Amino acid sequence: MEQTLKRKITWTRMKGRLHAWLSKPANIILLVFLIALAVLTLYPLLSLLMETVTVHLGKEARAAKLEVGAHTLYHFKRIFATSENNYSWIQFYKPFLNTLAVSVTSSIIAILFGGVVAFLITRTNLKFKKFVSAVFVFPYIMPSWTLALFWETFFKNVNIGLKTSNGIMASVFGVFMPEWFVYGFFPIALVLGLHYAPFAYILIGGILRNMDANLEEAATILRTPRWRIIWRITLPIVKPAMLSTFLLVFASSMSAYSVPVFLGSPVRYYVLSTTMKELMNTYKGQAYIIVGVMILFGVAILMLNQKVTNSRKQFTTVTGKSGQISKINLKKANMPIAILLVVVLLLVAVVPLVTFALESLIVKAGDYTPGNMTLDFWIGTGLDKRLDQGDSTGILLNPKVWKALGFSLALALTCSVVAGTCGILVGYGVAKRRGSRLASWVSSLSFFPYLMPSLAFGAIYLSMSSKIPWLHGFLLLGLVGSVKYLPFASRSGVNAMLQLSGEIEEAAVINGVPWWKRMLRVIFPIQKSSFLSGYLLPMVSCMRELSLFVLLVPTSNTILTTMLMQYSEKGWAQFGNAINLLIIIVVLLVNFLVNKLTGASIDKGVGG
Amino acid sequence: MKKILSLILALMMLACAVPALADVAADVAAAEGLTHDELVEKAMAETGPFIVAGTTSRITTAAEAFAELYKIEINSTNLKDLEIYTKLESETIDMVMIQDGAQLLDAIDAGIVINYVPASIKDTVSEEDQYPLAHQFTNKVFIYNNKGDDVPAIHNVWELTDPAMKDRIIFKSPTGEQVNMNFLIMLTSEKWSQKLADAYKAWKGEDIDLGDYKNAGYKWIAEFLPNCQFGKSDTNIAEEISQDTAAGKIGLFVLSKLRSSSVITENLTPAQYAASAEGYTIEPFAGFMYPIYAMVSANANRPYTAMLFIEYLMTAEGFAPWSKSIGAYSGNAAIPEKEGDLPLSTWKETLVVEDPEFILDNFEVEDFIRQYLQ
Repeated sequence: MEQTLKRKITWTRMKGRLHAWLSKPANIILLVFLIALAVLTLYPLLSLLMETVTVHLGKEARAAKLEVGAHTLYHFKRIFATSENNYSWIQFYKPFLNTLAVSVTSSIIAILFGGVVAFLITRTNLKFKKFVSAVFVFPYIMPSWTLALFWETFFKNVNIGLKTSNGIMASVFGVFMPEWFVYGFFPIALVLGLHYAPFAYILIGGILRNMDANLEEAATILRTPRWRIIWRITLPIVKPAMLSTFLLVFASSMSAYSVPVFLGSPVRYYVLSTTMKELMNTYKGQAYIIVGVMILFGVAILMLNQKVTNSRKQFTTVTGKSGQISKINLKKANMPIAILLVVVLLLVAVVPLVTFALESLIVKAGDYTPGNMTLDFWIGTGLDKRLDQGDSTGILLNPKVWKALGFSLALALTCSVVAGTCGILVGYGVAKRRGSRLASWVSSLSFFPYLMPSLAFGAIYLSMSSKIPWLHGFLLLGLVGSVKYLPFASRSGVNAMLQLSGEIEEAAVINGVPWWKRMLRVIFPIQKSSFLSGYLLPMVSCMRELSLFVLLVPTSNTILTTMLMQYSEKGWAQFGNAINLLIIIVVLLVNFLVNKLTGASIDKGVGG
Repeated sequence: MKKILSLILALMMLACAVPALADVAADVAAAEGLTHDELVEKAMAETGPFIVAGTTSRITTAAEAFAELYKIEINSTNLKDLEIYTKLESETIDMVMIQDGAQLLDAIDAGIVINYVPASIKDTVSEEDQYPLAHQFTNKVFIYNNKGDDVPAIHNVWELTDPAMKDRIIFKSPTGEQVNMNFLIMLTSEKWSQKLADAYKAWKGEDIDLGDYKNAGYKWIAEFLPNCQFGKSDTNIAEEISQDTAAGKIGLFVLSKLRSSSVITENLTPAQYAASAEGYTIEPFAGFMYPIYAMVSANANRPYTAMLFIEYLMTAEGFAPWSKSIGAYSGNAAIPEKEGDLPLSTWKETLVVEDPEFILDNFEVEDFIRQYLQ
């Protein structure tokens, strides 16, 4: 009798605790996301692991001398330990070393370039700030291969690569660049570094902009030299942001495919992603092992990143106190620095656009005389009879292009709404339950999709979904895009929420305002611009994404980027360039509209 | 609780259930003896969009003409081999045009695609091209830039192994497109290695010294590939070699790319054209050739329409998108090559034609080839 009573009491207590735990929306949010993310990220990881020990149809089954579907460690042995014909060295170790070199270098370039520009914009009286700030994110908006393509068409010459034709630099300016400058390690690292420099700019700039000036002012009063202030105060404060940038750029560079293909293959410079793509055609098991290696690397850096950021206290960047931060007067150096920066940005962000426009007009490759130019590739008709290349109408008259544009926009919008909203919720949950195990799990899980190479992520989702027929098409694309871009949104969500003091919501809680109303009426309005940036980044990334979607796009409904890739692969350069320009214009337009309507923009994105 | 559990289970089963596929293989077998009119009747009874995918870009033009003819809704798409096979696993596609016969044989064995030979063409398609059904042949031939003083008008492929040819040959990387790999594998066969050994003697005037190489095919590969530069696509290679600035260069690429408006055609000479005109032969081959196959997909929603489309593609009307330019040859012997081009029979004699069975048995040669791609 007594025992049952005791049991009853314990049960009631537990029920009470559970009730109390569940009454906090943050807990429910975290729990739901934990389950959802476990299914959406850990399950793909498990199926990837399964693929590395499974025998696939074709040559793989023949080479392993096993039945299709059988399980084996053959793939591991083959890719890591086959000395015959130098197999492992060619297929794994050499590209692996190249990948490391490229990724580390591009990360350093991104941090240096993005960080310096962020510093100049936020902490000095540099001229042309508005222009620099707006144009700096262009390379990120453009699909990464466009910069690579531009690099090649601009610098190629008859002394290097295919040694067949001269680009603009050689034919117009008579300057013949050496091979290392145009193909291979250097341009790949540089192009990727420039492409991802906006990450550094956004992350480091966000901290610099909101930094408490008291620290620097105190040092100034104590007559500390400028360089010492930067070295001992500013740098340590932005160190976590630099590490985050390193993580983001390293992971992205490692899985970048098109840039190394365009700039590496002509000089036989291969990286892991190019080897992986090739192996996907023939030896899938080995391709998935390479994906696994890439993920392991990403996770290692993620852990390092977390260790460093957790070992010290987070710097509060938004306080109610000092408002004005001191700006360095660049004095005489102002103009030269500003001009240099503008020229560099024009080169990497504006000249490519002009080149694409030009390339979309010429009929015979390499001939830039007016007689060789036409608007046919934009607005021509009956092209199949006259040019026998590509489609029969220019892209603006082609209903397929408009349909693809609509599909791309709808997809980008869906992914941005889903990822953005989930990002805010994750941010809310993580910030409210900061320090709890549940919060750190969800926070890590929500970042995990970023570490998976897009191509492999798409392939795994495709194979998973083959058993669920109704999931195909738009639904699947939307799901994959939302999961893949959740890291952007959740990062900006977490950061925005961490900046908010708890009192703000508590006042509403005391007045009995329901949770959803608190979110909509209190929290969202305060951090509106940060949140909207969290929506914008997935949207932009989605518009220019290719590898993630290439396998999942239904035959009957293509998107602009897959269309562009098909044109490029077929060598229909003019259509390709025209579509490329169309994508960039649409993204810029969306960015501009959102910016005008709400004040949010990409450069205020992740954590800004 | 139990109710919820059973509901969830039921939902999961529903989600996982693959819709009962009509037995397409049985339909194809049953269609064997159908006349054209019977095929049309059956095809018109089918509903839903008709979806085709192919490695050749001109499939779109053919599909549009077919849709116009039979008033059906059609979706066509231009994909690469891998993408087509990957898509077949997850998406309904009715008919595919695909290259790389070796991989195709595996796919047929695995029941992913089904071979269908329309009754109307049984007599005009040679027996060896009926399984798998070769819709057309594509040739990648040696084509050189005819400008300048040092025109590489080759008479013997061993000339391409000369150190003086370093970086003057442009080819698409064999790992980038399997048919290129298949060509190289074919060279290690008994037939072609012997021909290469004979050609070597004709070139040097002495017997070939094989050293560690298994046969003349391996030796040629090992000395040819280091002289090559790898281009992005065949169109791109054609454009690049046709430039005025590309004198002295030679490429091994798709002949039909000469049709492209972005190529300066007058700067280019296909080596075999020169040989035929001046009456010499290129020892022992002028390039290589591979079929593009037309197959019914095993998950087809409209199998009879797929068969009707294949029948259509094998007619002169269906082949029209390809026959208007050089470098495409119908598997149907009744359809002649484009005027000005050489007939398929000549090409078959002077080119290395891929043999899927041989490639399947010797795929390990790829490892040897890969060393020379670095």
